[in-house]
Amino acid sequence: MKSILIFFLHGLTYAGLLFLVSSGLSLVFGMMNVLNFAHATFYMLGAYFSYSLLRTTNNFWLSLVVAPALLFFIGALVERFLLRRVHVLGHVHELLLTFGLAYVFTELVKWVWGTNPLPVPITGFLAQSVNLFGITYPVYRIFVFSTSVLVGILMILILYKTRLGIIIRGAVDDSDMVGALGINVPTLFMAIFGFGAALSGFAGVIAGPLLTTFPGMGDAILVDAFVVIVVGGLGSLGGAVVASLIIGQLQSFGVLLFPKFSLALIYLLMAVVLVVRPSGLFGRQT
Amino acid sequence: MKSAAFRGTFLLALLLFLVPLFLGRFHVNLLTEIIIFALFGVSYNLLLGYGNLLSFGHAMFFGLGAYATAVALNNISGLGFFPAVILGTACATLAGFLVGFLILRQKGASFALLTLAFNALFYAMAIKFTFITRGDDGLSLQRPNINLGFFSLDTSDVVVFYFITLVIVGSVILFSWFFTNTAMGKTIVLMRENEDRMKFLGFSTNITRLSLFTLTGGLAGLAGSFYALFFNFVSVDAISIGMTTTVLLITFVGGSGSFTGPILGAFIYIYLQNFLSDVTDRWQLFMGLVFIFMVLFVPGGFSKLLEEVSLRWRVFREARAKTSTAGG
Repeated sequence: MKSILIFFLHGLTYAGLLFLVSSGLSLVFGMMNVLNFAHATFYMLGAYFSYSLLRTTNNFWLSLVVAPALLFFIGALVERFLLRRVHVLGHVHELLLTFGLAYVFTELVKWVWGTNPLPVPITGFLAQSVNLFGITYPVYRIFVFSTSVLVGILMILILYKTRLGIIIRGAVDDSDMVGALGINVPTLFMAIFGFGAALSGFAGVIAGPLLTTFPGMGDAILVDAFVVIVVGGLGSLGGAVVASLIIGQLQSFGVLLFPKFSLALIYLLMAVVLVVRPSGLFGRQT
Repeated sequence: MKSAAFRGTFLLALLLFLVPLFLGRFHVNLLTEIIIFALFGVSYNLLLGYGNLLSFGHAMFFGLGAYATAVALNNISGLGFFPAVILGTACATLAGFLVGFLILRQKGASFALLTLAFNALFYAMAIKFTFITRGDDGLSLQRPNINLGFFSLDTSDVVVFYFITLVIVGSVILFSWFFTNTAMGKTIVLMRENEDRMKFLGFSTNITRLSLFTLTGGLAGLAGSFYALFFNFVSVDAISIGMTTTVLLITFVGGSGSFTGPILGAFIYIYLQNFLSDVTDRWQLFMGLVFIFMVLFVPGGFSKLLEEVSLRWRVFREARAKTSTAGG
């Protein structure tokens, strides 16, 4: 019973990370119709930036702000100077560009930080454990989950309660019309792409101490984030929440029940969704 | 036009048959690799250039072909060269059919995403099923000799293996070229241009697309099978995202607009890789940068570039001929 609770909490933690990564991916896709294959490398870069910041300043909270800010700029630059250039060439070239960028970023990381996994130590109260319903559970995992919930709530508030949110949701539906109403759509796209990158980098920063930091960490979460998007439906925030929770639990209990085949469960779920409901659980039917 | 293409192919084939006479073992080895990767590139281009299906998972068929050949040679004693190749190709074809059946109902971005996801699944299997694949250590194999009854071919010889590759892989590339000119090849191109119209005309576009995906899976599997035999070794690299990047590079450096593009691309890729890996340990990074450069600035690849240069040259010459006759 206790182990079930522990694995349930582990699943929630991973679901939180998955939500942070996949919601940015989904938002960018919904708006710009670009599936960003480099999205998970922003997550990896976040973890590496945070590692270097921790080595120099030894301040986790600082890296939680600085690393996503750096990634916001990287993301915005990528959109402004690379993605916008290939937009006229069509959809295939946009996907190819992001795919190539993912490859180059990964190689750069291997060059700068090496290929060995780097442990990111945490200190202070985050490193402690608390007593939760009769089990001792690390504070850090609770922190990861509650932070993602907080970010999720913030995103929903911005999207549904502010003027900016109305503009973004409008642009997801019909960006040409939003442009015709006098909104600077190219700048909005740049900002959203940067925001997605920052969100992914933020997830990377908090994932660093939990899972070790290594060059393959991007690929590992990218596939899960893709499955979240397929299951939840492309471009749906609600779908991303539900699918992240499902896949977090599947990952967690999959390891407990079938250690060698935990991956198969996720693909099985994806295959079932694809056959029964190709547009995803919450996706718009096309 | 057609006779020019035939003449060109004939001359190229002749040249390739004569090349071992005046090139050293090193270049013959590189040419063998080029032919193998040319088939890989051609199979990818049938999917992307002809079918307009962007896949980020072509390495799964390549790697599956390589692994199936290596595992079969290691576990079935006395297995011949050709049965091993056929087995590898068949496995990849079957995988192409099954994966295609599952994911071809998706289009565009979500299709690309799913191909990557399935490639990740195959990669994870290659790493986790250590009892078959030996995981990260990789599988080494012994290239079997070919017994033709009255004499046997020593495949461990570089030149002999080159000729085997040239004949078999080369004729499969020719077959692919022939395929693009068949009714089905034309149907695929027309589907790319206007699928709705093809449906109205009564073509079953889903079945055609699945057949194309299965075929390209098989072709990539054959290339992978030869890749395993070429290196006498298979590691998880063969089925990794990196291998997909390789085929993307080959296709885009050469150009996805024509059949010969990926063949030219394979030539450039292998020689560039060889040069860069001598100069720097970070050759993969530079390859990635080359890829981004091509996507940004030369979207048609080198074959398109050559086409444009020759067109400009012809226009220039005609203009000069005109002015000289006008002047004289």
